[in-house]
Amino acid sequence: MTYLDNGATSFHKPESVMRAMRCALENCANPGRGGYTAAMSAAKTVLRCRERAGELFGCAPEQVVFTANCTHGLNIAIATLVKPGSRVVISGFEHNAVTRPLHARKAKVKVAGRKLFDWEDTLREFEQALHSGADAAIFTHVSNVFGYILPVEQMAALCKHYGVPFVIDAAQSAGMLPVNLIELGADFIAMPGHKGLLGPQGTGLLLCGREPVSLIQGGTGSLSAEQDMPDFLPDMAEAGTLNVPGIAGLSAGIGYILQTGIDGIFRRQQQQAQQCGEALEKMGFRTFLGEHQGGTVSFVPDMDCEEAAQFLGEKGIAVRAGLHCAPLAHESAGTLDTGTVRVSFGHDAAPCQTGNFLLQAEKMIARSQKNSQ
Amino acid sequence: MRKCIITFRSVTPAQRAEEVLHRAGVECVVQRTPKWMEEKGCGYSVRLDRQDVMAAAMLLRQAGISFKKTYALSDSGAPEELRL
Repeated sequence: MTYLDNGATSFHKPESVMRAMRCALENCANPGRGGYTAAMSAAKTVLRCRERAGELFGCAPEQVVFTANCTHGLNIAIATLVKPGSRVVISGFEHNAVTRPLHARKAKVKVAGRKLFDWEDTLREFEQALHSGADAAIFTHVSNVFGYILPVEQMAALCKHYGVPFVIDAAQSAGMLPVNLIELGADFIAMPGHKGLLGPQGTGLLLCGREPVSLIQGGTGSLSAEQDMPDFLPDMAEAGTLNVPGIAGLSAGIGYILQTGIDGIFRRQQQQAQQCGEALEKMGFRTFLGEHQGGTVSFVPDMDCEEAAQFLGEKGIAVRAGLHCAPLAHESAGTLDTGTVRVSFGHDAAPCQTGNFLLQAEKMIARSQKNSQ
Repeated sequence: MRKCIITFRSVTPAQRAEEVLHRAGVECVVQRTPKWMEEKGCGYSVRLDRQDVMAAAMLLRQAGISFKKTYALSDSGAPEELRL
């Protein structure tokens, strides 16, 4: 199989991730719940992951909160910053992981910047929205549909200028682009553990630039005589037993990235996405390509996008079609009615993947032409 | 050798303290805080030699790792809270 659905999850994990998970299952009990060897092994595994994440994302280990996924982290961040009626500025490329929690909290949402790959438009619209009054801003680092890399450093600077707390959704950038909590000055940065960080599913991180609310309450292994949740990080946001095997795998994934270097990973992905996109364009597909683009490219096939992905899937090419849980992004790009087929490269991006995909894309065209005759 | 115990709010700062102290060459081990020392229930601490406690406190403050209390244990195990 040629796996090109890394926007959904990374699939070919480093061997070290699997070894670490097995090791945790064999050696780790419950962290922070006992002083015996297996409990302390678990605690060490967890701390090691916090430290590696802190190293990669420029923050203290205590600022790293484990979540079940990126959506979980975003929900904590949104619950902390957004009250019913809060005015919230978002980009035109947000995922449902942002828009649905905002809808549920009855926030007044202002969408700013809807032109793909256009930093000038994004920044102008974003500043106008902040200037007209906002209680919070939430924006994605990279569009999960189109690979558009938003100018997050400048957007962060604008938020600080206007005194607006902000959240960055790093679902598609963590492990691929520089993300630094302190330098960005973000209130929260949420990310999955299972995409660019190469950990297993069921893991995520919330980097906390401020104290979050506790979405759930329960045991933390600390201050147990108190009925209030602990008032310090990370315990205040981590009720219940942690996913230690998952965290062990995530730690190994982050370790792999620290060793390999994100620059090399990103360049490989970007190069393949660009070559792939240019070839699709030459084939006549409506393809979304731009200057500020990462390792993801979307196109509109000349048949139903789900049928196209199904055809490719049967030929051993794994891509994702439809709306990608991001109707707002599709609305911004004008593809809400058709959807797109998304090709997203991972840490193992290679020319042979692009070649395999393009070969089957040509066969898809041939079949489509045959069916239309 | 007389021992000391430095208590922390949870396992995370206790482990970070252990790392900081080990890096500085101070021998210590992380353990659960004795129940009577932790009035709010459940915590972790590091146990180290009495002679190292002043240096340890300084190292932890420099590293920004906050601790709760410090106890000296006599040879019989009887504790005495230290004011550092």
